Amino acid sequence: MDWLSLLIFSPILGMLLLATVHRKNESLIKAIAVSATALSMVIAVLVFVLFHQGISHAVSYQWINFGHDNIVFLLNYELGVQGFSVLLLLLTSVLTLLAAFVATFQIKKNLKPFFLWLLIMEVGMLGVFSSENLVLFFLFFEMTLVPMFFLIGRWGDRERERTAYRFLIYNGLGSAVLLLAISALFARTGTTNIALLQEIMANEVQGSAAISETFRNGILWAMLIAFGIKMPIVPLHTWMVRVHVHAPPVLVIIHAGVLLKIGAYGIITFGAGIFPEQFAQISTFIAILGVINILYGALLALGQTELKHVLAYSSVSHMGIVLLGVAALNQPGYHGAIFQTLSHGVIAALLFLIVGIVHSRTQSTQLKDLTGLAKAMPIASGCWLVAGMATLGLPGTSGFISELLAFLGLFETEPILAGVGMVGLILTTVYVMRIILSMTHGKHTLKPPTELRDLTHSEMAPVFVLVLLIIAIGVWPSLLTSTLNLTVQTISIGIGG
Amino acid sequence: MCDKLLPYAWLIPVFPFVSFIMLLAFRHRLQAYSSYIGSALTGLSLVAAIVVWVTGWSVQSVQHTGVWLAFESVELQMGTWITPLNLVMLNIVAFISVCVHIYSHTYMKDERRRSTYFAWLGLFTAAMLGLCLSPNLLQFYMCWELVGLGSFLLIGFHFEEDKAKAAAKKAFIMTRIGDIGLLAGLILLYWQTGSLQFTDIYTVISSGELEAFHVTLISLLIFAGAVGKSGQLPLHTWLPDAMEGPTPVSALIHAATMVAAGVYLVAVLHPLFMASDTALTVVAVTGGVTATVAAVIAIAQTDIKRILAYSTISQLGYMMLALGSAALAAGVFHLMTHAFFKALLFLTAGVVIHHFKTRNIHQMGHAFSELRFTGMTFLIGTLAISGFPLFSGFFSKEAVLSAVWHDERYLLFSLALLTTFLTAFYMFRLFFIVFMGQGKPTSGPKKALSMALRLPIAALSVPAIGAGFLYTPWFSAFGNWITQWQTAQIDPGHEVPWWMMPSAIMCSLAGIMLAWVMYQKLRVPLRELPYLHAFTLRGFYMDELYHYTIKQPLQFMSTTTVYIEKFVVETVMESSSSFVKWVGKYGARLQSGQVQTYGAVGFVGLSILVFILFWTGGYF
Repeated sequence: MDWLSLLIFSPILGMLLLATVHRKNESLIKAIAVSATALSMVIAVLVFVLFHQGISHAVSYQWINFGHDNIVFLLNYELGVQGFSVLLLLLTSVLTLLAAFVATFQIKKNLKPFFLWLLIMEVGMLGVFSSENLVLFFLFFEMTLVPMFFLIGRWGDRERERTAYRFLIYNGLGSAVLLLAISALFARTGTTNIALLQEIMANEVQGSAAISETFRNGILWAMLIAFGIKMPIVPLHTWMVRVHVHAPPVLVIIHAGVLLKIGAYGIITFGAGIFPEQFAQISTFIAILGVINILYGALLALGQTELKHVLAYSSVSHMGIVLLGVAALNQPGYHGAIFQTLSHGVIAALLFLIVGIVHSRTQSTQLKDLTGLAKAMPIASGCWLVAGMATLGLPGTSGFISELLAFLGLFETEPILAGVGMVGLILTTVYVMRIILSMTHGKHTLKPPTELRDLTHSEMAPVFVLVLLIIAIGVWPSLLTSTLNLTVQTISIGIGG
Repeated sequence: MCDKLLPYAWLIPVFPFVSFIMLLAFRHRLQAYSSYIGSALTGLSLVAAIVVWVTGWSVQSVQHTGVWLAFESVELQMGTWITPLNLVMLNIVAFISVCVHIYSHTYMKDERRRSTYFAWLGLFTAAMLGLCLSPNLLQFYMCWELVGLGSFLLIGFHFEEDKAKAAAKKAFIMTRIGDIGLLAGLILLYWQTGSLQFTDIYTVISSGELEAFHVTLISLLIFAGAVGKSGQLPLHTWLPDAMEGPTPVSALIHAATMVAAGVYLVAVLHPLFMASDTALTVVAVTGGVTATVAAVIAIAQTDIKRILAYSTISQLGYMMLALGSAALAAGVFHLMTHAFFKALLFLTAGVVIHHFKTRNIHQMGHAFSELRFTGMTFLIGTLAISGFPLFSGFFSKEAVLSAVWHDERYLLFSLALLTTFLTAFYMFRLFFIVFMGQGKPTSGPKKALSMALRLPIAALSVPAIGAGFLYTPWFSAFGNWITQWQTAQIDPGHEVPWWMMPSAIMCSLAGIMLAWVMYQKLRVPLRELPYLHAFTLRGFYMDELYHYTIKQPLQFMSTTTVYIEKFVVETVMESSSSFVKWVGKYGARLQSGQVQTYGAVGFVGLSILVFILFWTGGYF
């Protein structure tokens, strides 16, 4: 049975149902949206369980063929998952469900179009992580851009329209570069199947013309730029800071939790996956980029006066660890990069979930306005503490595992750069302490404490789910490694690690 | 017997952890019972620790581990490890934690957030016990960080006070700086030895396969962690500020157990440090200088808890000095005696602070007549820390001194001897001012101390007096027990020069006498030396130094980056998006509606394509 297609297109059922409901019937709209995303999550869990039982989920249908004589261009509808992507599918479906649930009480207007866009975006996100074929990947990738553009532009804050355009321009540029790279690969090799491309690059089967080093490097660089914008790599990060700040917090859960991870996924699976040798040659450069990301992001996070800015730059800083892990070119490094991708998704989601909740109480996210919430909102403050501690990589949280593994990897191959990168961990501690203490400690001055309600029951559910996920991964990382082992071996065999 | 029980040693940290979870989950419902739950569960873990001690005291080193995280070449483990060194630490931590739990029952009875307080205590105790049981450096590091979290939470327990907030922040960041060094060190060690298990590390070190450079680098990085946690110079400034936490917390965390974890780290990796002379020297010098400097600063302090905090720093310096002088047993022994008498001093100080409602010693006085029990027990602690003959501190200090002498670092030896004098002086200054000084008796009705306060104090007084007899120049069982398992060598038990003991006694008696003359007999007014006094009172202006050399440059760098982001990166990036707009604007003009132009452009384009097709001969 084609579980993956079922998973990818499952949100469409919800969309069809939503289309039939009147836009004033808000409670029904909410119910449909939440159950549609819940359905996808159930299927994603099924996919995960089946994957663990050894079912690869690979499907391939003939789709588009053209060419003449002996040169045939095959474009199939090919889906499949490996360890990394199956976990990303799980992350996507869980975070979308949480976001849909949170949106039911945080989004106040135009609920119907909001959820319609959200569900389309889910189709795109699920598709991205299950495509076995670059063209298909690209189609799904584009499918996430358009909904995101409208979601930011309609439901964001005052700067929403500028931000939406900025988002579109940068991601559009990235997509253009990616499209060029994919077309060039397609033209040269006649396929866009990822596994086949890996094979071709490794031993040039099928008697295809020799693929020059320059060509490979060119494509790799194009991919680095395309995914570097998404990830983001400094200095291509300015658009995402705006999105973090001006999009509604519930959307940032998806943005920081899943969409940015496409960049990391692309660099790991396509960059390092298809061009292992070329990637190994520039690994020092990648490591330097990673260190710059960490330090630059952390220093900027230190200098901000508004909470969402701090968190946005903290995301920049944390993506540096993914780069460090990949650049290590060894098993611990890859594990670290993948763990960081997943763990940062969960942590960022929790951070922005709480930011959204706090904003709904205080109507401000300026650090100077947010003091002493611990008295009126002890549970929210406690969860904020967990999120902060996970951000700075405290043992027992998922953030620690990824930092440990990434640095463990990098210290083997680039000890000096790893040492410099570690300074970033100290800076992280400083800015995390700043946001934790200025939000929870001290005396609250803005409003009487009676107006600051602690978490309601419906807010507790998503917050606790994320807190538990963070701690579960941190305490028992084997949960993920058993799924990941296969992926990492595939990548590192290519690189010779 | 020991085969059956030792595998269950993991239960020791689980009990307090259960208390943490319970009290946090049901903090309102269990509010009234929180102290009982906390004390009972910590008590269980003390019982378990004692059982493990009794069954495992003859054991050299027993591990029970399981795989925690494994992939291809890497395998990381978790579990328990029982060695004489661990047993000592486990029992000290569990014992003092129980004392502090019981003491807190009365001390924190008016606190609105009692459950939270006991929950954090449980978290701390669990992490600390887990740290002591760690069979490898990774688990050690994880617990080490969690211990830091517990300390952070408890220092900032009164979260509404700005001072507590600042102190918690400072403690966390300062220790974290050292921790990053430790993390780097342990990763490097992993790549050098291929394992993080302590036993494997010992094997690799004893084989002598490691390069000297690596050994030195790794041990110095690891020592950075110990410096941060144990409040050694130059990362000590967080510890005096940490006194903003509730006093029982200071007794448990910032005197007896957590700050000693750094010493324990150096002790458990002693073979590594022994393999590098440079590392040993750094440890010894850091310890010696810290001991003296902190003692000098303590003389000028007026806050009772800050005096005790500086004295903790100074005593931890002693332990480091001993370890740096290749004397594992002496260092660990001083750790043990110090844990008892310093916890005792803090708990009695808590009663004094509660009595006078202030922490400034000049607003106290005459306490001995009103607080007889407290005065007596405080005196026991003071005599022990001053190295008064036959009290516990006397023997451990003796062991440290003879180790340093034996190591032939005579400058450090004289610093240590000077510190003995200074310690006796500032501690008796404190004692005479608070307990014997002229102060008007407080007017409040006299109330007998509750049992929950008396019991822990009494329980701590016993080892504060007697624990010293475990390891004396004529009885070295403790020393052998502590050292033998690690290196298979018996504690050398140095030949002590005949004048050692008398001179140490002379130093401490001289300190006591001077304090008596100055503060009891003559009642010297303070601030006699204006600049020097201010200099020492402010702790040699270390905070100010850091403010100008680290904090401000960091702020400057961060502001600079913000400007770079704003004016360089944003501008460049902005130009790319304005380029798109420009293309759109001028591109739109092409659509002029003139069919001739369209046709011309289309023709030119087609001819170029055809040309390319013929030039390349098909596909490119």
